[in-house]
Amino acid sequence: MKKITLKLFRYNPETDKKPHYDTFKMEVEPTDRVLDLMEKVKGYEDGTLSFRRSCAHGVCGSCSMRINGENMLACKTLVQDLGTNKITVEPMLGLTVLKDMIVDMKPFFIHYESVMPFFVNDEPDPAQERLQSIEDRERFDDTTKCIMCGACTTSCPSFWANEEYVGPAAIVNAHRFIFDSRDKAAAERLQILNDQFGVYRCRTIFNCTVACPRDIQITKAIGEVKKAIATGNLD
Amino acid sequence: MALNRKVSLFTGLKYKGGGPMWAWIMHRLSGLAMVFFVGGHIIAGFLTQQFGSEVGIAINTIYENWIFQLALFFLVIFHAVNGLRVVILDLWPALLEYQREAIWLQWLTFIPIYGLVLVVVLKDALGG
Ligand code: SF4
Ligand code: FES
Repeated sequence: MKKITLKLFRYNPETDKKPHYDTFKMEVEPTDRVLDLMEKVKGYEDGTLSFRRSCAHGVCGSCSMRINGENMLACKTLVQDLGTNKITVEPMLGLTVLKDMIVDMKPFFIHYESVMPFFVNDEPDPAQERLQSIEDRERFDDTTKCIMCGACTTSCPSFWANEEYVGPAAIVNAHRFIFDSRDKAAAERLQILNDQFGVYRCRTIFNCTVACPRDIQITKAIGEVKKAIATGNLD
Repeated sequence: MALNRKVSLFTGLKYKGGGPMWAWIMHRLSGLAMVFFVGGHIIAGFLTQQFGSEVGIAINTIYENWIFQLALFFLVIFHAVNGLRVVILDLWPALLEYQREAIWLQWLTFIPIYGLVLVVVLKDALGG
């Protein structure tokens, strides 16, 4: 067992003008996840603590928060991974805070929708499946792993500065279709991202790549999209 | 009511972004500093030439000070090497996977160049 101090960002829109922090001391296992600590607080200390969680296994993307100053999934981060007894949990930056760790994800999803994150191919359906070579599938494998947690976009100083920036997550999901050999709308998506609030807001700061719980090479994906726009070539 | 999305400079700086985030911040600051250096240099030249002004001479004295020169070289060389890293990564996105190594390489390039500056400037300043 390990003694830790858990400091939680608190904001209740009904009573608070300003946010504050609540501190809890507890004994935990080094292999406990940050999400477990928050469940403990919610279950035994203060039932009003609000945060999003669903799968608790790092696949749904609900529990992304700022843990010790860095975006992570609370359900994937063990106490021992943090290497300290002081754990601070705060909501992600750059989105309005609705309550405690819960932020308004709407702007995030609007950007996601704007890049046409769906398969487009108006050619008549083939008799069987649309075939794709192993190499062609490999081309966009990395960006298929996104779970839409928002850790990348809300770690990006360009997004903090301007909400209109489409953000890394949307570009990752555009990349997933742009480089899919079966899809036919790459040109349209490149056009959407060829905008002052598109890929050019990326200043290669790399916070997104570091934050991504799926280890997606986000800045590389953005770089590939930038290059495709500049050269008009998908290779 | 909800809390405004605005991220203050202080909150932003507290985010643990690591090497590339600081490189980006320093790139911005050094870029801005260079605008002032060049601007100040032009103004000083103009004032001294046209009016033989004391202010121009005062600015030039600051520019010739060795501590100022060390700071100036630091910012200019940092800006150049960092800019080069970003340009190279932009041209060959495949290299973006090696961004950590790129930061190391950047300092490995910076140190000998700046070391040379240190030797030359300090020799001049201290050796007379
Ligand atoms: S790219 Fe990574 S960090 Fe960004 S939303 Fe997808 S899974 Fe989350
Ligand atoms: S709760 Fe689903 S990713 Fe953490």
